[in-house]
Amino acid sequence: MYVYLYDNFLKQKRHESVLKAMETKLTDYGIAGKIIRLQHYTSAELLVEDEIRKGAKTIVIVGDDTTFGHVLSRAASCKVTYGFLPVGQDNAIAQVLGIPLGVEACDVLARRRKLRLDVGWVNNRYFISQLHIPPSNISIEYDESFKVSSTTGKMELVVCNLKPFIWTGKGKQYVVHPQDGKLEAFLRPVVKSKILRKDLFEAPSIFPFAEMVVSSRTPFPVETDGKVSKEVKITIKLAKSRIEMVVGKDRKF
Amino acid sequence: MFKPNTEESYTPSYNHSTQPDEVETVVGPSVVVEGDFASEGNILVKGTVSGNVQTGKLLTVERGAKILANVKAGNAIISGSVRGNVRVEERLELTESAQVDGDVVCKILVVAAGALLQGKVSMKGIEIQELHPDRKKLSSRNKFKLASDVESEENQ
Repeated sequence: MYVYLYDNFLKQKRHESVLKAMETKLTDYGIAGKIIRLQHYTSAELLVEDEIRKGAKTIVIVGDDTTFGHVLSRAASCKVTYGFLPVGQDNAIAQVLGIPLGVEACDVLARRRKLRLDVGWVNNRYFISQLHIPPSNISIEYDESFKVSSTTGKMELVVCNLKPFIWTGKGKQYVVHPQDGKLEAFLRPVVKSKILRKDLFEAPSIFPFAEMVVSSRTPFPVETDGKVSKEVKITIKLAKSRIEMVVGKDRKF
Repeated sequence: MFKPNTEESYTPSYNHSTQPDEVETVVGPSVVVEGDFASEGNILVKGTVSGNVQTGKLLTVERGAKILANVKAGNAIISGSVRGNVRVEERLELTESAQVDGDVVCKILVVAAGALLQGKVSMKGIEIQELHPDRKKLSSRNKFKLASDVESEENQ
């Protein structure tokens, strides 16, 4: 049995036609199912567990990167197959998973090419897309073997799981697609901030890792899958083969 | 009108790809790494590393970068400074701005004019015949000749 989790923003009229076309195609494939609309305060974990109890075998997330991160960061521990139908503008993860935007995504879902994916683990919760620490005075220890610091002081840290890391430097745009099997940390020290009143970043330092400890004397903000919290010390790990996901042939890993 | 080309710019024969997709680990210019640092993929050092560096693939130390410990790599291009022993499985390339203070072990060594190297260089695959066995043969033949001469003299 298929259960479809629709994000709240899909209520907007501009998505109506795509959703209708998707629902028709899913009915044609014989994989149409119950539709649940996610609200801001819906607990994804409880919802998914409840649906599993009622007999759901596949949970399909319908929305964008934020929806994907919101659901899976809470429900990654649930033992069920996940699918994804990307709708909307902000859909970088779908590209990594090889799932096309809109109606064509139904073909990928119907083919059921399943793969186990790794997810990030930070202070007892999962993160799916990215972890972001804005420029802060942080020190980082990798795999209990080496420490990384900056000569300029503040550093920005981005840890990518499924969402690609994009930065512009020397008039060029760089895109790094993270590979499955490890986490990639992108560190960007702030070069100038006072003169131009704007943070200028150095080209990023890249470190693949299995475990990382980020600490600071003062609390620093941590953003994971749309949730922001203030921490003094965080441990980031890779949870191997945590979720079973329907992926496309053109996936990036 | 046109300035004569007085300076020959040295370009390493290995083209280290600057495409971020192919580089596994990058240590940026204002980043300091303290401790032993190992990677399975290519390493590009632009900053400072105070600890052993190890990779099975290509290590690139850019101009201005510093490594203050031993280095082990599959291949290496050094344009910065290394204070420690360098052990490379295949090819080690020292560009014009390279400074190495330590012993070097490699299979192929390329040194550009201007590179500074202070230490013992050991290279695998040397097949120069030893001189001592030939000398022994020569001396034994001489001895044999001497003995035969003595015998002929005695017969006479």
